[in-house]
Amino acid sequence: MSTEALIGAWVAVGLSLLIYSFLYKDNPFFKLAEHIFVGVSIGYLLTITYFQVMVNKLYLPMVQQEKWWLVVPAFLGLLMLSRFIPPIAWLSRISFAFLLGISSGIAIPRQISSFILQQVQGTIKPLVTLGGSRLTFTLENLNSLLILIGVVSVLFYFFFSVEHTGAVRRVARIGIYFLMVSFGAAFGYTVMARMSLLIGRLDELIVYSSATYGHATLVLLVAVIIGLAWWERGQRNTTNIQR
Amino acid sequence: MSTFIHRLLRLDRRIIFLLIGVMTLLPLLYPVGLPVYVSPEVKKIYDHVESLPAGTLILLSFDFEPGGKPELYPMAIALLRQAFQKNLKVLGMTLWPAGAGLAESALTQVAQEAGKERGTDYVFLGYAPGDANAVISMGQDFRAAFPTDYAGTKIAAIPLLANVRSLRDIAYVISLSVGFPGIETWYVYGKEKYGFELGGGCTAVSAPRFYPLLNTGQINGLLGGLRGAAEYELLIGAQGKAIAGMDAQSATHFLIILLIAICNAAYFLTEQARGRRS
Repeated sequence: MSTEALIGAWVAVGLSLLIYSFLYKDNPFFKLAEHIFVGVSIGYLLTITYFQVMVNKLYLPMVQQEKWWLVVPAFLGLLMLSRFIPPIAWLSRISFAFLLGISSGIAIPRQISSFILQQVQGTIKPLVTLGGSRLTFTLENLNSLLILIGVVSVLFYFFFSVEHTGAVRRVARIGIYFLMVSFGAAFGYTVMARMSLLIGRLDELIVYSSATYGHATLVLLVAVIIGLAWWERGQRNTTNIQR
Repeated sequence: MSTFIHRLLRLDRRIIFLLIGVMTLLPLLYPVGLPVYVSPEVKKIYDHVESLPAGTLILLSFDFEPGGKPELYPMAIALLRQAFQKNLKVLGMTLWPAGAGLAESALTQVAQEAGKERGTDYVFLGYAPGDANAVISMGQDFRAAFPTDYAGTKIAAIPLLANVRSLRDIAYVISLSVGFPGIETWYVYGKEKYGFELGGGCTAVSAPRFYPLLNTGQINGLLGGLRGAAEYELLIGAQGKAIAGMDAQSATHFLIILLIAICNAAYFLTEQARGRRS
């Protein structure tokens, strides 16, 4: 095992356990890990962005391929930084206007096509199947029917221009049931996702508890527990003195 | 009885954390091997990859960062194992800046297992900045979007990419997505215009968002969360991290259902609830 891998394992285990110490209560060890995480994430992101965007997409094409027209987007990018200098902050509007115009032009037609037209098409599917000379009702047709009822009733629920009484109220009520089912499914999937994260983390902690990694998990778990006990004792002493 | 119910409703949340921790840890240490069933949306991706002839170029976009690793990394490993077993050519890339390290690690690991060579059997292009713009740029001029691969080798010097000029030259794209940019970006700015087939893998929390796309055929299959990864591992016949985690997943789900049932029953038995109903 390389020294880098070993150090990496100890750092990963240590930071994971410090973060999990929040489950006991908010404490300085958790805050330390949290601040390290924020700092490292920002640093990593800045470095990657510098090399992948500033160097690979701007500097190298200009210098090696003589694409000098890239000065224009670079200048527009610099104008955005004028937000930090109040007297010339208005210059950033030029870049934002350019960005908004381009983004809207690209996104609006594609989004309408993908998420409205195609979804509407997917909602209106045959409610019966023509098999030979007679019509049949299959499970696929049942799905199409449920989707149609769901979409129409939920749209009714969000239709506020008409008072929800009589037939409208009944249809909107069905819409609420569909919404409740969708919220339940979303919550179930969220629980599943959070548990998966825990499983992934615990799985790695188990791997790092082996002798190959110097029993990193066990050693650091004991260290974190001792640290928390020491901190808790300090907290209690401070409270007693204040009393 | 009443005291017990009140105590239950005021249960210290740390006891619940502890129970969840124990229920997760025990199955990981002592696996039971609960059955895993393959869902149609997962099978569709497997079948599509199986149907591709040897030598076909596919693109695997690792659109995730370390936060999505437990769910999406096992999917990537399983998909790569199947692709290399089928002798497909694989292009790897990511739309997430923090995804490059994970993506390269997965590609290198599976390629070494399968005895595949960088440049002829697979290429890792690295991080493509610009979200949707990156996809559009790849569609218009692949070499302008990626002048070099992740290692700095010029695209023109890579045999695998000799005939690749646009996304139209790629048969199948699979985006393993933790959020935006991801599956939606590939569909909206890629598939609609350049006509390749698109499959997706996502974290469980975002899976409900993609079922409408699946229903309309905008994506041809979906691997949702750790369960999706486990099903895929089952299909390729190689047990990995996902199947190993399914026992723990089932155990924690059982505990959560039990806790919800007990706490709801306890709530309805309290005098407070009775008062509200009256």
